[in-house]
Amino acid sequence: MTTYYTLVASLPPLPRSFDAGPIPITASTLRHRLSMLTDADRFVTDQLADFFRWDRQPIERSDGDVIARHQQLKRQIRNPLVLRLVEHRFEVRTLVAALRCQRDGAPRPELPALPVSTWIRRHWDKAGFGSSSRYPWVAVFCQALDEKQPKHAQYELFSELWQVWSRLDQQYHFTFESVVLYLARWEILFRWSSQNTELGQQRFDDLVEDILGSSVVPHRESALEFSVGDDRVASP
Amino acid sequence: MESPFWDMMGMLGIYAPLALGAIGSILGCSAGGQAACGAMLDVESGYGRLVGLSALPSSQTIYGIVVMLSLNRTIEIESAPGLFAIGSLCGVALLFSGWFQGKCCASAIHATKSKPEIFGLSAAPAAIVEGFAVFAFIFALILAGSLPAATGGV
Repeated sequence: MTTYYTLVASLPPLPRSFDAGPIPITASTLRHRLSMLTDADRFVTDQLADFFRWDRQPIERSDGDVIARHQQLKRQIRNPLVLRLVEHRFEVRTLVAALRCQRDGAPRPELPALPVSTWIRRHWDKAGFGSSSRYPWVAVFCQALDEKQPKHAQYELFSELWQVWSRLDQQYHFTFESVVLYLARWEILFRWSSQNTELGQQRFDDLVEDILGSSVVPHRESALEFSVGDDRVASP
Repeated sequence: MESPFWDMMGMLGIYAPLALGAIGSILGCSAGGQAACGAMLDVESGYGRLVGLSALPSSQTIYGIVVMLSLNRTIEIESAPGLFAIGSLCGVALLFSGWFQGKCCASAIHATKSKPEIFGLSAAPAAIVEGFAVFAFIFALILAGSLPAATGGV
C-alpha cells in the first residue's frame, strides 16, 4: 500500500462541518499538491473527479443515461473505496429521485442495479418508502421539500454524504484512501460554498478589511471574481 | 570455534541490533520526515520543531550500536546461540519501535499543524513507543552480561 505522508500532511484540515467555514485550500493549490501522487493513483483520482463533474445534473439527462453511466463506472473503477463512494452517491441520488417521483405522483422511475432500488420497488406505496429507520435523513429531507425549502433539503443530503465520508476517513491514515476521502469532502465544501455567493463575498470583505485595512475595499469585487473563477476552472 | 554455522549465527547476533535498529530508524525517520515536509507546506512557522520531532526514531540506531558493542566478543560454540537470540530479538524490537515511532511522529506532526498547542502532548505516543525500545535495549545489555564468558572479548 502506497503511503503519502508528505501529501496528506500538506493538506489543511477540513472543517468539522461543510457549512462551518471557508474552503481551506483552493482548487489550483489542491491540484498542485496532487501532483505528488503516483501515475496509477492519479488515474484513480481523475476517475473520481470525472464522476463528480458528471454528477452535476444537466436537465436533459435521462434515467437511462444515468443507469448506463452507473454500469460503465462499475466496470471501469478498480479501487474499492472509490467504487464505494460512487455507489453511495448513486444510492442517495436514486433515493432522492424516487422520492421526488413519489411526491409528484409520477410513475416509478427506471432504477439502477443497487440494493436501494430493490427496497424502493418493494415499498413504493409507503410514504418515504418506509426507509426512515434505514436512512434517517429521508424524513428531514421530505419535510424540507414539504416546506418548499430546497436548499435545506440539499443541506440534509450533503450532511449525509459528509458524515458517511468523514466516518470512513477515520479508518485511514496517510494512505491513498485518505487522499480520496479528502477530495470527496472537498468537493462537497466547494459545491456548498459555491451556492452561497453572498456569504463568500462578505467573508472575503471581512478578510480584506482585517488584513489590509479599509483603503483597499473598493477593489475587492474583482479579486473575489478572480478567486471564484479560478476555483471553478480547476475543480478536481 | 570450528563450526562455521555457529560462527555465522554468532556474528548475526552481534550485528543484528545495529542493522535492524538502523532499518527501523530509516523507516521511522522517513515517515516522520515526509510528514514534516508536507506540514511545512501548510504552516507559516515552527518548522524546526516539526523536523526535530521527525528525527525521534534515530535513537534506535544508537541503542543498536551500544548493544552490538556489548555483545561483541570472540565467538565460542557455547555463546553463539545466546548471541544470536539476544541480538536478533533485540534488533527486531528496535526495528519495529523505530518504524512505528515514525508513524506516531507523522501523526503528531499532522495534528500539531492545525493545533500547535498540543505539540507536547501529541509527541507522547512516540515517547511511549520509545520506552519499549529502551526496555529491549536495557535488558539486552543485562542478558549480554550473563552469556558464557569469552576467552578474550574485544
